[in-house]
Amino acid sequence: MKKNFTRRGQNLSTLLGYLPGYLLVAPPVLLMLLLIFYPAAQSIVRTLFVANEGDGLRSFSLLRYTDFFNNRILLWNLWFTVWVTLLTVAGLFVLCMPLALYLRFSDSRIAAAVQVLSLFPLFVPGIILAFALIRFLGPHGTLDTLLQTIGFTSFRTPYLRPSGIIFALIWEGLPFTILVLTAGLRQVDNALIESARDVGAGDWQIFTRILLPLMQRSVLIAFCLNFIGVFGSYTIPYLLGPAAPQMMGVSMQQTYSEYQDKLGAETQAVITFLCCALIGVLYVRTVTRQRIGERN
Amino acid sequence: MTPSETAEEQATEATRPKQTSVNLTLRAWLRVLRRESFGLVALLLLIVGILGPISTVFLWAFTERWRYPSLLPTEWGIKYWAQTLSRADIGSALPLSIMLSLVVTGLSALICLPAAYAFARMRFPGRQLLLLSFLVTNAFPRFGLYVSIAIVFFRLDLVGTVPGVILIQLINTLLLMIWIPTSAFQGVDRALEEAALDVGASRLRVFVQITLPMVLPALGAALLLTFVSTFYEAQGALLIGLPNVRTMPVLMYSLINNQVIVQYGAVISLVLWLPSFLLLAFVQRFLRGNAVTAGLGV
Repeated sequence: MKKNFTRRGQNLSTLLGYLPGYLLVAPPVLLMLLLIFYPAAQSIVRTLFVANEGDGLRSFSLLRYTDFFNNRILLWNLWFTVWVTLLTVAGLFVLCMPLALYLRFSDSRIAAAVQVLSLFPLFVPGIILAFALIRFLGPHGTLDTLLQTIGFTSFRTPYLRPSGIIFALIWEGLPFTILVLTAGLRQVDNALIESARDVGAGDWQIFTRILLPLMQRSVLIAFCLNFIGVFGSYTIPYLLGPAAPQMMGVSMQQTYSEYQDKLGAETQAVITFLCCALIGVLYVRTVTRQRIGERN
Repeated sequence: MTPSETAEEQATEATRPKQTSVNLTLRAWLRVLRRESFGLVALLLLIVGILGPISTVFLWAFTERWRYPSLLPTEWGIKYWAQTLSRADIGSALPLSIMLSLVVTGLSALICLPAAYAFARMRFPGRQLLLLSFLVTNAFPRFGLYVSIAIVFFRLDLVGTVPGVILIQLINTLLLMIWIPTSAFQGVDRALEEAALDVGASRLRVFVQITLPMVLPALGAALLLTFVSTFYEAQGALLIGLPNVRTMPVLMYSLINNQVIVQYGAVISLVLWLPSFLLLAFVQRFLRGNAVTAGLGV
């Protein structure tokens, strides 16, 4: 009886011992719940439970979503967003993988210059980038005049075209992708590569059999964050993209501010959540696994 | 053997050593070119693609007139600097932007730094799960989330107010302000602290004189990154702030869309760049410490 009592006392004191920790982490956790989970959950519920015309009671209905998928313009916008996202992410990998490999295995002065230049966009905010690219790529811009002076006259500006968005988004994503990929490559031991070379492995074999499997996590993180980042972008597609089709960010903003259709904008927001849900889960799982692996 | 032939032979003999050395340097250069061909091509493309747009902004900021087929401005000058900086909208937007960034960074530090200490040093069930839950801030498509938040804020009358903008900008700072300091606190050598405690230092003194100096560079990096990214945050401020709260990046939207005079945008871009240059000055330390990627869970 007495034993039981002391154990309960111990339990209480360990619980009290946890209290300071919980109190200290509570503010940011609550802020995240209130500012991210609560609005997102609210949007999902509100778009699924639509108020009836007569009595104003809410009941489950997919009306909002059937409206969306019956609207050809909105559907076009969604497809456009998916395509721009996939092309941008693919472009980023095609550009950044060779650059990251080069930066990992070369320590020449040229490599140092390449690194500085490719990380530079980290310090250029999106809004300034948009302004700079309009003046650079736009009609009668610097690139146009530059090409004219060397005799190339059939320049078609990518400004207000999908290629303009993709160019700008790749520009923006370049440093982050290179940082993540080189971080992954740095974890591969030089001795491993040399021993593979000793037994006669070629460059391509070393890349596909050793480097790629060992940097799988970096590749996944770069893919997920770039995908979600581009899918949820607004500034670049709004300022550099065509008036139609629009990316979902621009479409939402227009529905929300110009058409004052809050529920419509909310439905579009939830659809972007759904499109990114799988990728988001993949991202969280990749990082979580690594963390837990490190702890063990 | 004719004399001319011998003369020729002599001539070639005389030039031979010179020629081979020329050939050697040429060959060395060719070898460097071949070995570095990828790097050189990459460098050239990056110079055009990255520096091209940036230098265009610089050129426009110091231009008085730039007629189309000319490669460089036709008339240089700084006339537009005074004109731009005396605009009333900039006069109100710049202090507002600086104030907002300071308040958001301060609030974020106040909320997140104690939590980071707890995540690193205290033991409680669910600690790892809670720490990882902040990754969710990256798992939502940004603008969709902002629209969701805007609708909640609309009902709370926070749209068009400074507190509304502060709250939406706080979201972006959470992950960075928790993960970078947490790993810094985890990296502190506990033996040093215990040694100080053993010789009779108080807990507060150990924290101020031993723990804090060791985490200060990482905390500085987190604070600076938060300040700069908040200063440039445009989308949340656009959706929540308008029509009453107009920060510098939000002002840029209207300047890009409706302004005929290009120089205004160029001058503001350069002014807006100042905090970024500050960041650039510290870049070496950041990238070596992997602070940027640590804040993203890499």
